Amino acid sequence: MSSRSPARDHAAGLWSATSRYAVVLLLLVGILVFFSITQRDFLSQANIENLLTSSSILFVVSIGMTFVVLTGGIDLSVGSLLALSGIVLSELFNGVGLPSGVAVLLTCLIAAAIGGAVNGVLIGRVGLSFFVVTLGTLSIYRGVVNIWSDTETTYIASSFVDSIAFGKLLGIAYPIWIMLVTYLVALAVLRWTYFGRDVYAVGGNITAARLSGINVAQTLIMVYAIAGLCAGIGGVIQAGRLGAASPLVGDTTPLAAAAAVLLGGTSFLGGVGGVTGTAVGVLFIGTLQNGLSIAAVSSFWQQVVTGVILIVAIAIDRIQQLPRGRFRRSRSGTPEAA
Amino acid sequence: MPSANDTPPLLVGEGLHKRYGGVHALRGAGIAVHAGEVHALVGENGSGKSTMLKILSGQIQADAGSVSIDGRPAGFRTPLDALRSGIATVTQETTLAPDLSIAENVFLGHRMVRRGPVIDWRATRRRAFDALRRLGLEVDPALPVRRLRPDQQQMVEIARALSIDARVLILDEPTSSLTDDEVESLFLLVRSLRSEGVATIFVSHRLQEVFDLVDRVTVLRDGHTVGAAPVAELDRAKLIHLMVGRTLEELEPPPVQEREGHAALRVRGLTLQQGLHDVDLDVAPGEIVGLAGLVGAGRSELLETIFGLHRRLSGTVEVDGELTSFRSPRQAIRGGIAFVPADRKIQGLVLEMSVRENLVMASTSRLSRLRRPAARRELAVVRESFEGMRIRAHSSRVPVATLSGGNQQKVVLGKWLATAPRVLMLDEPTRGVDVGAKSEIYRLLFEAAERGVGILVSSSENPELLTLCDRILVMFRGRVAVQLVRGEATEARIAHFAGGHR
Repeated sequence: MSSRSPARDHAAGLWSATSRYAVVLLLLVGILVFFSITQRDFLSQANIENLLTSSSILFVVSIGMTFVVLTGGIDLSVGSLLALSGIVLSELFNGVGLPSGVAVLLTCLIAAAIGGAVNGVLIGRVGLSFFVVTLGTLSIYRGVVNIWSDTETTYIASSFVDSIAFGKLLGIAYPIWIMLVTYLVALAVLRWTYFGRDVYAVGGNITAARLSGINVAQTLIMVYAIAGLCAGIGGVIQAGRLGAASPLVGDTTPLAAAAAVLLGGTSFLGGVGGVTGTAVGVLFIGTLQNGLSIAAVSSFWQQVVTGVILIVAIAIDRIQQLPRGRFRRSRSGTPEAA
Repeated sequence: MPSANDTPPLLVGEGLHKRYGGVHALRGAGIAVHAGEVHALVGENGSGKSTMLKILSGQIQADAGSVSIDGRPAGFRTPLDALRSGIATVTQETTLAPDLSIAENVFLGHRMVRRGPVIDWRATRRRAFDALRRLGLEVDPALPVRRLRPDQQQMVEIARALSIDARVLILDEPTSSLTDDEVESLFLLVRSLRSEGVATIFVSHRLQEVFDLVDRVTVLRDGHTVGAAPVAELDRAKLIHLMVGRTLEELEPPPVQEREGHAALRVRGLTLQQGLHDVDLDVAPGEIVGLAGLVGAGRSELLETIFGLHRRLSGTVEVDGELTSFRSPRQAIRGGIAFVPADRKIQGLVLEMSVRENLVMASTSRLSRLRRPAARRELAVVRESFEGMRIRAHSSRVPVATLSGGNQQKVVLGKWLATAPRVLMLDEPTRGVDVGAKSEIYRLLFEAAERGVGILVSSSENPELLTLCDRILVMFRGRVAVQLVRGEATEARIAHFAGGHR
């Protein structure tokens, strides 16, 4: 929530910025403590690094998804776009023969352009439902990936692309740097630009935003371009981790990213939330999966646990926000000071 | 007066306390309602009326205090508990399902007529038809509610409330979106319910309605009950004094000045595919022009079209002598037009965002979106609005949703004044706003006019237009029926032309 003082908000008895992800933050601390005690290797430097790097793709994509959810939408196509970005990268590098740095940059820009020009224009300018449009593009991009790649993995023999996944700067792996930079840039954009405010305004009340002179269509196009850009960055990291472009990647990404965003306290109705909550949400999911893996729990059970915790965390949050902790159905969910 | 004070009251709330976070909405307020009386609950926005109604209707529970019905304590935990005790509520906001039929809406909540396990639709519709006819509305109960006019929709809500054999009917600002004729038929209905022994709790900001309709008045101020008396013992001045706690200075409109040069706003031949035909209109700088007319006469369409929301079929709009062709609110704002829309919650404010962000939203909309918001300039706007408008809020950082209706409306107005417009258009500027905030809004409009802003205000409340306007255009079916200047305009004349008479 941009430029709000939590203490004052608390005084008003309503949404304070941190309370929206307080539950998942506590859960994160809880499982960190739990796994540190029960699993001997959990706190090792290698495992922490592994935890963070393996969360990095979801992290970056979820940051992009946060912008979309803040406007009251969801982008189901980010996983397919992530896979498509891998293929585009391989084509630019192997096929066209561009230098790897240029190919990576171009891949990210192409992903952003696709996100803005297809999802963004259809939703923002034409006015179609975000659900219909991104469900459609989810299928379209996945189809294009399979046709173009012939469902085969192509290797990308580039030391630069490898280093994006495995290189280190100041002793810290590149994917962790990428996470950090993505987070900080997103935070700054949401907090310290008029565009960031427009995102909240469009999600909070699209009619009032339009009547106040905000360019709603342009805001939505930008938001889906950002989601596309983040999917592109995720695709590049993925290609680096595999050393190849695989048509199979990213199929669970949209749902995992949506889960992380919602866990992080961003309202799926839009207008409320932020990227800090999303960061906590992703780290929670990543830590849970890492810890359960070390504890040799199967990945299928990890899916079950993640889903249960998503629902439980949001239920706790909902109960917390009710006056006097009582269940009540209200249209707005907020008591009116009248 | 039919209500006898020697009989015990039907519904009593005593010593009610309610806190929302830092806001102490009720501090020991009480009310006593007798069977067969119409009881007004009045007070400024933020005085605790809505909170008290919510407690009486079981939507929320008091932190302390008691509610009793028939002398027995009634611990309402849910709205259903209150309904079962015969307390029905019709709120400001519609609670109808627009795509369901009228009959389904009347009996919403599984109260349709059944034959065995299945719903007997024919009997349900017949009962709905009878219930509505009793209220003077003859419509096909199979139609979806969406097809009804707002006042007819409200009748459906009242029919639903009465279908449970209500003994207490709570009407929370039922008249705020009705025309005079519709208000009159609502009053007839309330009076006939009174003769049947139903107690009605009536909330309205229009004091004249209180004097026209009710038997007793309970006045709230800052969460306390500051007065409870038969309406016969009160007059307008006394009532306002009780509500506000001070005597309001009567507002004198500034004298009409001679005007020369360009019109601030000049409209010629404005026509829409539907709803507007060949409208001409001029607003001089510093002039306040009113738009009167029934709901649906085209007042809102006219303002919205000038603001670039509808594609016009023909006609021209000039601002300060320059021809314009706005195709979006963005362009209209750049052209110097401001528009306070009719519904502040749906069109005016982003409720989750802070007071400050809402205040600067329109005036910053033409800046580059990559810029960092200038905190100092924004704080200047905030300070000016808070001081100039007497907005009451903990701080400018709280969500605007936490403010009372009158203060929210001041935020909307402040947001548009901050754009330094040449032309200020307002649609129902004081709907649901209490007398104190209302007189402050009037003062702000007079001040803006004095600075040379041309003001065009549309309102269903004719006294409001008579107070504010130098000229009043009365609309009927998308056309300007007549223009009345100050002095020749009266409520009766406006009503005459608004009804399509010549």
